[in-house]
Amino acid sequence: MYRPGGSVLHRTPAGPKLLTVMALALAISLVPASPWLLAGAIALVIGCYLLTGLGLRELGRQLRDLRWLILVMLVPQALFLSLPTAAVNITRVVVVVLLAALVTLTTRTEDLIDAIAKALGPLRRFGADPDRIALMLSMTITTVPVIAGFAAQVREAQRARGVPVQPLAFVVPLLVMALKHSDDLADALTARGVD
Amino acid sequence: MERRRGLDTRDVTRIVVFAAILAVLGIPGAIPVFGGAVPITAQTLGVMLAGAILGRWRGAAAVTLFLVLVLAGLPLLSGGRGGAGVFVGPSAGFLFGWIAGAFVVGAIVRFGNRPPTWWRTALGCFIGGALVVYAVGIPVQALVTRLPLAKTALSSAAFLPGDLLKVVIAAAVAMALWRAYPRAFGAETAAASRPQAARPKTDAGVR
Repeated sequence: MYRPGGSVLHRTPAGPKLLTVMALALAISLVPASPWLLAGAIALVIGCYLLTGLGLRELGRQLRDLRWLILVMLVPQALFLSLPTAAVNITRVVVVVLLAALVTLTTRTEDLIDAIAKALGPLRRFGADPDRIALMLSMTITTVPVIAGFAAQVREAQRARGVPVQPLAFVVPLLVMALKHSDDLADALTARGVD
Repeated sequence: MERRRGLDTRDVTRIVVFAAILAVLGIPGAIPVFGGAVPITAQTLGVMLAGAILGRWRGAAAVTLFLVLVLAGLPLLSGGRGGAGVFVGPSAGFLFGWIAGAFVVGAIVRFGNRPPTWWRTALGCFIGGALVVYAVGIPVQALVTRLPLAKTALSSAAFLPGDLLKVVIAAAVAMALWRAYPRAFGAETAAASRPQAARPKTDAGVR
């Protein structure tokens, strides 16, 4: 989801960028809607997308990704509210989501994870361990493909035996394999002196 | 009672592995229901299982860990969604509700650190995995979309049948796992009362 680039937005540090954009998005989302505010927000979003150097084509791609969200919102809104109100509500939600997506577009996942882990630093005095949390975040990323591999293995094994695949017969072996893997991981960590 | 602060290595890896399970359950068709005819998203099932199996604190921690990775931009939500956008969109409240939901599931299923029973597991998954998630998700959705609360609730009722199905599956899975691999539920509970059902059956399932 990250699009490389060298714009100002790309170069802004991840933590402050995430905070600013999320605060802005929340403000637009929660302040009572006025036509001026909405027009300003739309201008801001278009301006920011141009500023990233990704241009309106990226904005269009993002909009296309939101088509289901728009459709799901449209039905009850059109049913229960007047059409102009529905249009304003949907536009506001789309603008807010597009604005927040700017963070993801212009920041590498590693940088965001580092920023989040760093932001947890002050929690140290409440007993949390930011280093431990950073370790857990990166361990999760490497564990996802392992678990996905287990899932494929279970599915293949059942297909080979000609068993129709049912939820129970799939999830239980998957969990057993995953939780055994978790014990192996724990042993590996202990053996390497983590903790 | 669970120890909170002294998170040992086994707890750490269990939380990590469950966060990864949540991600894998977001892959479309990960859980085949009715031969894959119904593409249900299995992530709320994962939330129920996290609470039921890991207990309230570790379950909520696994969901939180997963959501932090989503916030950091990994497309791990069902349908390949992710990034900062989903945390300000209409379904943001449901994501936060998952954390509270996993906690409540764990608190009910493992009430007083007792071994899970069928009815308590089903009740916990229903209250935590459905009601609590709705209780956080629907007001936030109403706030974001400005659709009146009652009407938002009404349009969310479409998810209720799917969620009830997930409650049944989650309870069945948790109880089957309790018989097959009680260690999964954490050392204390497993040691407290190990079910008499045969353990050797376990590994035959897969390998």
